[in-house]
Amino acid sequence: MSRPRRDPRAERASRQVASAAGEAARPRYDRTARRGAGRPRRDPRAEHERRRLAGGSRPRYDLGQVAPPEGVPSTEARPRPAAETASKILVLEAPAFLVAAVPDAAGGRLSAHDRQVLGAARALAGREGGVAVLTLGPCEGCGGAGADRLIQIEGQAEVYDPAGRAARIAAALAALAPRHVLFPESLDGGDLARRVAVRMGAPLFGNAEVVAAGGLIRPARGRRVEQRAAPGLLATVAPDAVADYAGPPREARPLAVEADGMAGRDTRPAPILAATRVPADPATVPLALAEFVTAAGNGLHDLDTFRQLVAALRATPGASRVLCDAGLMPRHAQVGASGTVLAATCYFALGISGAPQHLQGVAGCEHVVAVNTDLHAAMIERAGLAIVQDAQAVMPALLRLLAQEAGGRGGVS
Amino acid sequence: MRIAVLLSAGRHPVSGTPVLPRLEAQAVRLAAGLGEAVGLHAGPDAAAVADALGQGLGRIEHLHLAEGADPVPALAARLGTLAPDLVLAGRRGQGGPESGMVPYALAEALNLPLIPDVVAGSAGEGTLRLDQSLGRGALRRLVVRGPVVVTVHPDAPAPLAYAYGRARRGTVEAVTPAPAAASVPEIAVEERPYRRRPKLVKGAPAGGSAAERLKAATGESGAVASGRVLVEPDPEDAAREILAYLRQIGVLAPPAAPGDR
Amino acid sequence: MTSLMPLTTVFPGLVWLMAALALVQGLRRAALWRVGAAAPVAWLDGLAKLPRRYLVDVHHVVARNAYASRMHAVVAGGLLAASILTALAILPPIAGFRPYWLVVALAFGVTAIGSLLVGARRYPEKQKRLSAGRFQILPFLLVAYAVGGTATALLLALGVGGVFAPLALALAAAGGLGLAFEVRHGPMRHAAAGALHLVAHPRPGRFEGRPDTALQPLDLDAPRLGSEMPADFTWNRLLSYDACVSCGRCEIACPAFAAGQPLNPKKLIQDLVAGLSPAEPAYAGNPYPGGRAGEGERGPLARLIGPDARIHPDTLWSCTTCRACVEECPMMIEHVDAVVSLRRHETLERGALPEKAVGPVTELRQAGEPGGRPLAARTDFAAGLDLPLMAGRERAAVLLWLGEGAYDLRYGRTLRALVRLLREAGVDFAVLGPEERDTGDLARRLGDEATFQALARENVATLRKYRFERIVTADPHALHALRNEYPAFGGRFAVIHHTAFLLELIRGGKLNPGRLPDLAVTYHDPCYLARYNGETEAPRAVLDAIGVARSEMARSGRRAMCCGGGGGAPVSDVPGERRIPDLRMAQAAETGAGIVAVACPSCTAMLEGVPDRRAEIRDVAELLLQAVEAGR
Repeated sequence: MSRPRRDPRAERASRQVASAAGEAARPRYDRTARRGAGRPRRDPRAEHERRRLAGGSRPRYDLGQVAPPEGVPSTEARPRPAAETASKILVLEAPAFLVAAVPDAAGGRLSAHDRQVLGAARALAGREGGVAVLTLGPCEGCGGAGADRLIQIEGQAEVYDPAGRAARIAAALAALAPRHVLFPESLDGGDLARRVAVRMGAPLFGNAEVVAAGGLIRPARGRRVEQRAAPGLLATVAPDAVADYAGPPREARPLAVEADGMAGRDTRPAPILAATRVPADPATVPLALAEFVTAAGNGLHDLDTFRQLVAALRATPGASRVLCDAGLMPRHAQVGASGTVLAATCYFALGISGAPQHLQGVAGCEHVVAVNTDLHAAMIERAGLAIVQDAQAVMPALLRLLAQEAGGRGGVS
Repeated sequence: MRIAVLLSAGRHPVSGTPVLPRLEAQAVRLAAGLGEAVGLHAGPDAAAVADALGQGLGRIEHLHLAEGADPVPALAARLGTLAPDLVLAGRRGQGGPESGMVPYALAEALNLPLIPDVVAGSAGEGTLRLDQSLGRGALRRLVVRGPVVVTVHPDAPAPLAYAYGRARRGTVEAVTPAPAAASVPEIAVEERPYRRRPKLVKGAPAGGSAAERLKAATGESGAVASGRVLVEPDPEDAAREILAYLRQIGVLAPPAAPGDR
Repeated sequence: MTSLMPLTTVFPGLVWLMAALALVQGLRRAALWRVGAAAPVAWLDGLAKLPRRYLVDVHHVVARNAYASRMHAVVAGGLLAASILTALAILPPIAGFRPYWLVVALAFGVTAIGSLLVGARRYPEKQKRLSAGRFQILPFLLVAYAVGGTATALLLALGVGGVFAPLALALAAAGGLGLAFEVRHGPMRHAAAGALHLVAHPRPGRFEGRPDTALQPLDLDAPRLGSEMPADFTWNRLLSYDACVSCGRCEIACPAFAAGQPLNPKKLIQDLVAGLSPAEPAYAGNPYPGGRAGEGERGPLARLIGPDARIHPDTLWSCTTCRACVEECPMMIEHVDAVVSLRRHETLERGALPEKAVGPVTELRQAGEPGGRPLAARTDFAAGLDLPLMAGRERAAVLLWLGEGAYDLRYGRTLRALVRLLREAGVDFAVLGPEERDTGDLARRLGDEATFQALARENVATLRKYRFERIVTADPHALHALRNEYPAFGGRFAVIHHTAFLLELIRGGKLNPGRLPDLAVTYHDPCYLARYNGETEAPRAVLDAIGVARSEMARSGRRAMCCGGGGGAPVSDVPGERRIPDLRMAQAAETGAGIVAVACPSCTAMLEGVPDRRAEIRDVAELLLQAVEAGR
């Protein structure tokens, strides 16, 4: 594709400013007007002005290198809504072959990893093939994630019976006869894939980081080498390795499969006598496993309020080294290189300036919220949402707001 | 209780030194807390797994196999003889194809149930109580009737420290395996040095400048790139902003709408 | 009584009786040392050198406290002189010579004065560091013996007897026999065991003027590794612990004690003493911080370490191996050797490392580096600097040993400064790069001798491949291992600390630093340089050469306080009431200096980690580079 040819003369003419009558005949041009095509011109002054922080009599600027040229809030970081209703649904009437994807679909919803598996399946299916999603129980949003067919297998998703589940999936796959089957390499998905592989007597290509029709690639020997193979029947897809499906939504047409579900059922007595789910208690879960950590630093002195806040947010309490050294917080709550290195989704830092050793501990956190009085604190720089304010004042406000919400709910019910 | 721990010849991820994979060392620790354990390794060389002797095992049986041979038939035969009450394994043994299939194939061959991703266990009367990780500290507490094959999750207690003296006292016994054919056809793979690929970053800009894409690729993006600073806001406003942000990223449950109950 | 036997015989007889009693009591105690393992001891050499060791080496330490020194000179000198003189009087010609008794009376008189000096330390109020218990009766025994002796001798000198003579003799007998009895369990044990300990000292090199500080290698094929119970120590170590006089100088010097971690070196040694025999009287000094009393079984075969034994594991892992206690001990006891020996058993036989230390030690064993990082990444700090690799040239005048600090972002600055200084001075140097493994210092201090020895052998083999004149390192821990501990594994190298090397370059005119008179600097001595290697002057001379305003902390040189970074203490991370580096920075703040000069990566990391510190932490090399740049 070639670019349209530019016509500089015409462009210039279009920018000519209509001169007031009686003025000299010198033509004047408006050079500030944006051109129709090409990169927008930078305006350093305006960029600088955008960095100006609200409040304060003296102008203050956030000169951090990471600030975007425009104050885009982090909303774009959200996964796309499952169904983009605006665009047309793509229908594939007679796929040349099927690529099956077996998502975890915990709670009837696709996880981010599941979407990636569907994206990988879509990549394998190409234009000709169709993607069929196999789930136990209902699952929403498959069409938007790239599924052409949706096969719901009967069975209680609630009961923990991995062997039985694998047997039903294997039977359905046998009936469906897809060209490839992809699972997520997650706790459940990886387990299921291996059970299905053993049951079907087929080899499994595990933990693929690249999925393409040309071949699958997985790391091996402690990531010293990678192995490449042509796509086989069964494979699992590593997390955060393959992109989601980005095209228009697909049909996800329900499909019934005549599977002899009972054929492979075990006749042995059920080995699992009881299974109870114990949800993680944020108050006691080890810091390294916690999903949401709220931590206190030197900027706090009222730790009782802090503890109330942690409980109200259902977060796991953490602390900076200074507080742990002072014995105000237990040693196992210490975040940082010499304490615990977190793998949390969100880190909420109250009154923590962010010493290098501390920041090492939160390097793996996806989101950071910081409240600190010092605008130039490293933690403010690191945070996705930074509040330059006394954490001691923000805590009661948070507690009040949370109580209000809870109270409002209580009032209606 | 008699326990067999499957050991594989791992390599240190950085130095490449032969080592016992961490997960299997964790399995050894679980086993040490449950009963009398023996290590089982099928492969050409037992040097790497000898580490397990210093980490809580007293005895290792080494089934000598040729390089690249399928360990499952040999292990299945030996486990059939030993008939342990519990077989512990890592999620994915190293040294072979590293597909994580061995415990599953063994469970199938021995006709035993398999419980994956266990972090803790204790023995009851003829039963086993196992804590299975569901990630992020959530558990599923299972009561199972043995014998059973169990794989260990990385969240299990850290391995015991290596004690040179204990390793010195432990023994590695060579056991001749019964000859057997491979059970599952292997995938033909082509190998080359690992190439690190950029981790997929949620919300990475599709367009944007090269610098922005680079930041997204190196992991310096996401929250950082969209950093938002509020200077000296009213505490109430700040609180609202924080709660909205926490809800947006999904770590805080949304306020129950009126009429929810 | 005098009617039965003349006083001139009874009095010397009393001293002979005392000697016999002391011998019996001493032998009863010595029987316990025999449970210890055999140890090679150069008896004749030791005996010949005993006076010198006592009068020079011991005195040097005791004299740091002038009062204690004078007190000992008077009381010990008087006691020995008076007792020997009296004992000689068993010979009739002497006994009959009256002026002789006047001399004896004078000696006893001096002892009496000394006894009062001893008493003044304990009454009316005991000095805090001293132990109570049996030590509290010591002044009374001394006074009784000295006063009784003085009186008896005076009576003999004057030739009068009568009713006073039996009274005086009885007083002398009570005191003297009491003192002799105390040789087994009481305060006088330190005199007997102490003298013997000086003869049979496990580190005779200490008295030869060289720092004999290398840990002794452990035979990894020995049937038992490390010390689990008193019987696992060698007999002369058991003897050395008996020499402890509970003076408490070690506890004043101990950084872990100051930080409120559960370690008190005096109590530790006393626990080793008490662990040997159930008959040992109760300990009466300051407890371990936290107040845990010794519990559990006692006896030569009783386990020493355990949550339910005499010494809690936390006590063992609190030690920073800084040797401050050893430096202060007037009885020349080797506390750090005891700690490491106990740690060796915990680590090698039981795998009972502190939880947080397991990771680093495992990585050391498996990757040759406690952080598990690639060895090739050690030179990453020098991005942009030309850092020649030994592998490419086979020989260089100087081999620069980078050490563990090279991985640290902060310490990388120091190494960059050092490399630039070497370049500036035109030094022909090279680094091992990816061939350099950790020296194993961390593993060794934590008791993992097996890992240390494996690393030592690999490093020695690597170093032997190349030809160089000297090794220069900025890490005193590496320096100590390479210089003092590797010779046992066949690696004898000339190793020099970067501060000493830089001083040479300045003195040789290779570096011409300007002066930085505006900087107020106090220098913090690294334990492994000052105490382990006796090097305290070179870094100060470098600082003086760049003309900074240098002030000294109250504790400096060989008596400096540790930063808390040695002996694996940072990875063991035993909780205390305070942190050692915070204490040290507070001491630095007292000098008012704006810069604390350091010469060790551990010190840099520990002192930099102090919150709210006002002083900057700068390595000597960084300051010198600044001066060199200012001098251009």
